Amino acid sequence: MHRWQAFWTAAILALGSLTLQAAQPPNPAVVARQVDQLLQEELPELSSVAQGRCDDATFLRRVYLDLVGRAPTADEISWFLLDTSPDKRRQVVAELLNSPEYGQHWAGYWRDVVFYRASDPRARVGVESFERFMAEALNRNVSWDKIATEIITATGDVRQRGATGLILAQMGDAELIAAEVSRIFLGIQVQCAQCHDHPTDRWRRQQFHELAAFFPRTKIRPMRTAQGRTFVVFSLERPVRGRRRLRWRLEHYMPDLNNPQAEGTLMRPKFFLTGRSLPPGTPDLVRRRTLAQWITSPRNRWFAKAFVNRMWYELVGRGFYEPVDDLGPDRKPVAPRTLNRLCRGFIDSGYNIKWLMAVICTTEAYQRALGPQDSAQQVAFASGTATRLHADQVWQVLRDLLQPVAGISPRRNTPAGRARLVAAARRQFRQIFGFDPSTPADEVQGSIPQALFLMNNPFLQRVMSARPGTMLGQLLREFPDNEPAVRELYLRVLSREPKPSEMEKALAYIHQVGDRAEAFEDLLWALVNSTEFLHRR
Amino acid sequence: MAWQLIVQARARKDGTFHRRQWLRMVGTGAALSPMLGWADFVATRADELKKRNKQCILLWMQGGPSQFETWDPKPRHANGGSTKAISTQVPGVHIAEHLPQLAKQMHRLAVIRTVSSREGSHPRATALMHTSYLPTPTVKYPSFGAVVAQQLPNPECELPPVVQIGRQGTVAVGAGFLGMEYAPFVVPQAGQPPQNSQILTSASRFRRRLGLLEELEEEFAKEAPQLVQTHRQLYRKTARMILSPQMEAFDLSQEPDSVRRQYGQGNFANGCLLARRLVERGVPFVEVSLPGWDTHSDNFQRTPQLCRQLDQPFAALLEDLDRRGLLERTLVIWMGEFGRTPRINPRSGRDHFPRAFSVALAGAGIRGGVVIGRTSADGVTIEDRPVSVADLFRTFCRALEIDADHEYMTPIGRPIKIVDGGQAVEELFG
Repeated sequence: MHRWQAFWTAAILALGSLTLQAAQPPNPAVVARQVDQLLQEELPELSSVAQGRCDDATFLRRVYLDLVGRAPTADEISWFLLDTSPDKRRQVVAELLNSPEYGQHWAGYWRDVVFYRASDPRARVGVESFERFMAEALNRNVSWDKIATEIITATGDVRQRGATGLILAQMGDAELIAAEVSRIFLGIQVQCAQCHDHPTDRWRRQQFHELAAFFPRTKIRPMRTAQGRTFVVFSLERPVRGRRRLRWRLEHYMPDLNNPQAEGTLMRPKFFLTGRSLPPGTPDLVRRRTLAQWITSPRNRWFAKAFVNRMWYELVGRGFYEPVDDLGPDRKPVAPRTLNRLCRGFIDSGYNIKWLMAVICTTEAYQRALGPQDSAQQVAFASGTATRLHADQVWQVLRDLLQPVAGISPRRNTPAGRARLVAAARRQFRQIFGFDPSTPADEVQGSIPQALFLMNNPFLQRVMSARPGTMLGQLLREFPDNEPAVRELYLRVLSREPKPSEMEKALAYIHQVGDRAEAFEDLLWALVNSTEFLHRR
Repeated sequence: MAWQLIVQARARKDGTFHRRQWLRMVGTGAALSPMLGWADFVATRADELKKRNKQCILLWMQGGPSQFETWDPKPRHANGGSTKAISTQVPGVHIAEHLPQLAKQMHRLAVIRTVSSREGSHPRATALMHTSYLPTPTVKYPSFGAVVAQQLPNPECELPPVVQIGRQGTVAVGAGFLGMEYAPFVVPQAGQPPQNSQILTSASRFRRRLGLLEELEEEFAKEAPQLVQTHRQLYRKTARMILSPQMEAFDLSQEPDSVRRQYGQGNFANGCLLARRLVERGVPFVEVSLPGWDTHSDNFQRTPQLCRQLDQPFAALLEDLDRRGLLERTLVIWMGEFGRTPRINPRSGRDHFPRAFSVALAGAGIRGGVVIGRTSADGVTIEDRPVSVADLFRTFCRALEIDADHEYMTPIGRPIKIVDGGQAVEELFG
């Protein structure tokens, strides 16, 4: 218990004024226990079918990938397994949340959430600054309402002001911004009503356009600076005429479906969840700040619900609602009371993100072993769920595994040149392995280019060889006997020891091939190409 | 129970299921037996598939080609610039002087001169002309290529169902909600083997590795059978592909010199030849792109150059497909994001003009020698027979015998038709 207190004191001191207003958040371990209890009550089948805790090695790989986006090193695994403290799982969660890798990793997640839906590829210029903005905010544990407010109200050069990312991704289009704000911050797909009243939900077309009416003055224009092309998000308070017709209007008009050329109906900025509105003529930033206030208000449960559900889904592998960005209004969550408990805690904590993460990672629901059956056919949350690694995670795991000795192309050996090369390789890698994190897990599939990359990529094959100077070459020298070498290889690649049957198969294979180096290259190849390697389990 | 509901909700209108759902339907036991899955599923529909194995080649003119310098010259008006018209194989039909070879192929081609949209930005128009929908952040519409591959699968083909030749432009339109299975397989440069497709060990060692992988996966398969099964299928499919004799499609050096000469030289020529080789081996959809059409300046130098890269390979492709009996079941589409302005700007360029532009079609039952629609003498307005983007995509579907009203269910449970609204251009058929 006192460890948690020390952690939170340190965390809160580090946060500065932003979160000092929030009261001391409730102890994560206590809330986690309540959450497990509520789950049990809501899903009584759990008591008979729920899996127990996963083993320590599995837990460690899981929590490392989830919180800091990489696998633990062989040393970290060994230390963790040797640690006899009953509290060690909570401790490692706290440590990881305090590591700067945490903000980096989750910034990548939010980058994907926002930019996978970019409607214009030129938005790429703002990706890096958005990632920097998120990493910094997450590491400082800026509360979610503050982050949301910054994103909704951002202005300025998109290369300097990362918070402009969402507006940039939608190129300043009022309707698209409204759609994304609602989807990401409220988990409501109100834009389905953009063209017609929604077939299944109760939002009306007009309500969507009233939401868009918060953004007609939010504009973006291209600009050239010494650093190259960029965009600037700004507030427009006077109409601008194009060559012939009015190019930019100060208010939002709902198009007339029967006559798309007509001006349409003037929309008042009105928030569909509360019905509160602003008069036409309100300046841009007042509109956006007001909307941000209404969205992030503790009285608006959707805001907390969308975030809690998203984080739970990402960490536990299944959501209360799926897909994570489509919560309603008329959909039922799997365990409503459990979700409510988490939401209430999150709100009471002052939208404290690290607190929420700590709670979730401390629940039994998070720590369960994978089921013998497919999770999908089981009672929700009865077992752990293996989920596909994001591109950044695969990249990081491969790099950590093979990097210690792997040289980058010798032709460009200046640090800047190397950094550029790595950045380019990383972008390419993301293109092959990336996916939109809001996509339901069962829609995320492997692809032929991914398989080809892991099977045959010449650079990867080179660093996976057993030549002197590679990871494998060194490992084989350090471990002259086959059995310990296989054990070490499993530990490094899959963060666990081989099972007896696996050891048997591996040794038989090495024996059969004859050439030790060749056999181990094949073994490494097989492990890197395995399902397990590409999943967090 | 909840799961069954999800499955039912995702069932397609025609009662079929997506592969993954289908596998789950039959349960884990069946899903575990090797290779029971897509192939068997397809086999049950094999007869149906034999009847409708049409294919499609899209020649994508990235940047927005000028209609005045290609299919709709206006030699008698200032807006036409210096471009002259030439007569074609079909009496009464004239096209721009820059396409002499295609003029000889006019009897195989149909030209629509009055395609009209309202989208003048490259990325959005690229999405529109690849999906028939404007992009939105909430629904990732699949490219038409993905739709073709999904609707017209070919179980005998061991190559990826959607192949894109040439570097992807700034906008990559993928398979959207149809999933990775139908994502375009990109071949950046025709004539070179696809990225990472060459095994770096001997074939026997590669097979040995695959065997080891399968063996070692058995433990994890106990914990996550579905995932391992899906992964294995992907690996089998990929391995089958790279070990397949069909991979020789990518090796253009196998073509006799006479054929290579017929297509000519250059990336686009190689792309067209590769497209034919892929279609021959049953790939449902191939896109070949020719970039550089965004001629805001020097239109009258640049467009003729581009036409030289285009003319011979495109003409050769039509003749070659026809000679091999492939043209009657292969729809060839020529188009870009939009057309270019009738007004010539001070830099002798033409800007974006989506209001009236040309698209050319051939094969798959499209009548050759036909011209649809008429633009005004100055090229500014449509005088006869406007064709919307939806009309155009309905036309593609009609030629390929795809039901344009087929509805997909998106992940958030919203039904999306292959094409929303519009009517096929009937004059092109029969």
